[in-house]
Amino acid sequence: MRIKSESNLLRSNDQPSSSRLSDEVLASRAARGDSAALETLYDRHASTVLGLALKIIADRAAAEDILQETFWRVWKSADTFQPQRGSFTSWLFRIARNLAIDMYRRHSVRPQAVPNGEAGESVLDQTPDPDMDVANQAQAAMENKQVRTAMMSLSGVQRQVIEMAYFHGMTRQEIAEATGEALGTIHTRARLALQKLREELERQKFEG
Amino acid sequence: MDNHIEELLPFYALDVLTEEERELVEAYLAKHPEARAQLDELSRAASTLAQGVSPVEPSPQTKNALMARIGADQRRQSSVTKEPSRRVNRFESFFRTFSLAAAAVAIIWVIVLNFQVVRLRNEIASLNSSLAAQSTSLNQIIEKLPQANPSGAITVALKGTQAEPNAQGQLIADPASQSAVLVVTGLPPLETGRTYQVWLIAGAPVSAGLLTVDANGQGVLIITSTESIGSFKSLGISVEPAGGSPQPTGDIVVLSDL
Repeated sequence: MRIKSESNLLRSNDQPSSSRLSDEVLASRAARGDSAALETLYDRHASTVLGLALKIIADRAAAEDILQETFWRVWKSADTFQPQRGSFTSWLFRIARNLAIDMYRRHSVRPQAVPNGEAGESVLDQTPDPDMDVANQAQAAMENKQVRTAMMSLSGVQRQVIEMAYFHGMTRQEIAEATGEALGTIHTRARLALQKLREELERQKFEG
Repeated sequence: MDNHIEELLPFYALDVLTEEERELVEAYLAKHPEARAQLDELSRAASTLAQGVSPVEPSPQTKNALMARIGADQRRQSSVTKEPSRRVNRFESFFRTFSLAAAAVAIIWVIVLNFQVVRLRNEIASLNSSLAAQSTSLNQIIEKLPQANPSGAITVALKGTQAEPNAQGQLIADPASQSAVLVVTGLPPLETGRTYQVWLIAGAPVSAGLLTVDANGQGVLIITSTESIGSFKSLGISVEPAGGSPQPTGDIVVLSDL
């Protein structure tokens, strides 16, 4: 897998190309001012970040702005990323999601209907990125499929709670109001949804 | 375990709690490591959600704009560090010489100071022993005074009041004469602007002079009165403004019948 093969490469005498280095190594290089490392991280994760931003605000231009701002913040604060606290992608996606949710709340942009938890709301739009090396692309594609499959294992109402919270930044009270359900029901659904997601990803040996 | 707080954990993992709710959870987590472990699992699951979205190829303009912004930032950073780096060689050698000189001066200063400290310590020791000798001799005087009386002279023991319970003294006088010697110990030295004043009291107090005490709280006063000492009933010492007062105004620190 990606990280294991990269660690072998790192132990070799040859200097590995930056595209084979782990996210965490690239982040620490970016923290030291290596813009090529930041560029590799961008090439690797920009399409996911844009997809995430689009899912939240559904405005292409605004989503591209968020994409740029996300990686600008990564550049400026890479020295604050702590690998022991979580993966680089968790940190990256958190930055992107927070920016998108903030914009969403500020502009009250709600072009999308509240998700009803039905499956298959968007067709896979995975254009291969020529700048990302094949190994990383394959890895990303597999992780994407694994998460989508795991999400499909949730019940409709469980998926709905997760999507309302994660992609719309709705509080539990807002979710209860929107769905007409009791707060306790929302709590239970959220907990079961995340637990089920975790179990399903473990079953699929998710490594992302 | 607090079920109410634990119900918030999934929403903490999804980052949709209010500020107060976050603080509640964080305070709870600090005390419940098992809840922290539970949260970590929920957080890991929540963080995968982004990877389940459909990736969308960004426009090249976004990357170009980002890299241009980064390039400008790098140039800004390097222009800040460039100037000092050109002078770094001269600065380095100057700093090296300066720091060596500074170190040499510091060492010499330490040696000098050490000598000073030793000298001062010796001075203090000798001062202490002379002070001790003085108070010994003063105490001896006080003890011996009753024995050294010329005939007719009497000694009156004086005691401090509640204001200065440690004060004590002796008045040595021939009651028929107008002179007396007052010896006092245990009176704390006063701050500038105040003085002890001695009073001889028959009816109204009559000032018998100002008394100065040394750092050890000891003082001696030769009293010369217009009346014979024996005509007074009591002696008092009070705290007065510098220069004394016509009548006692301050605290009375010694008061004894004669």
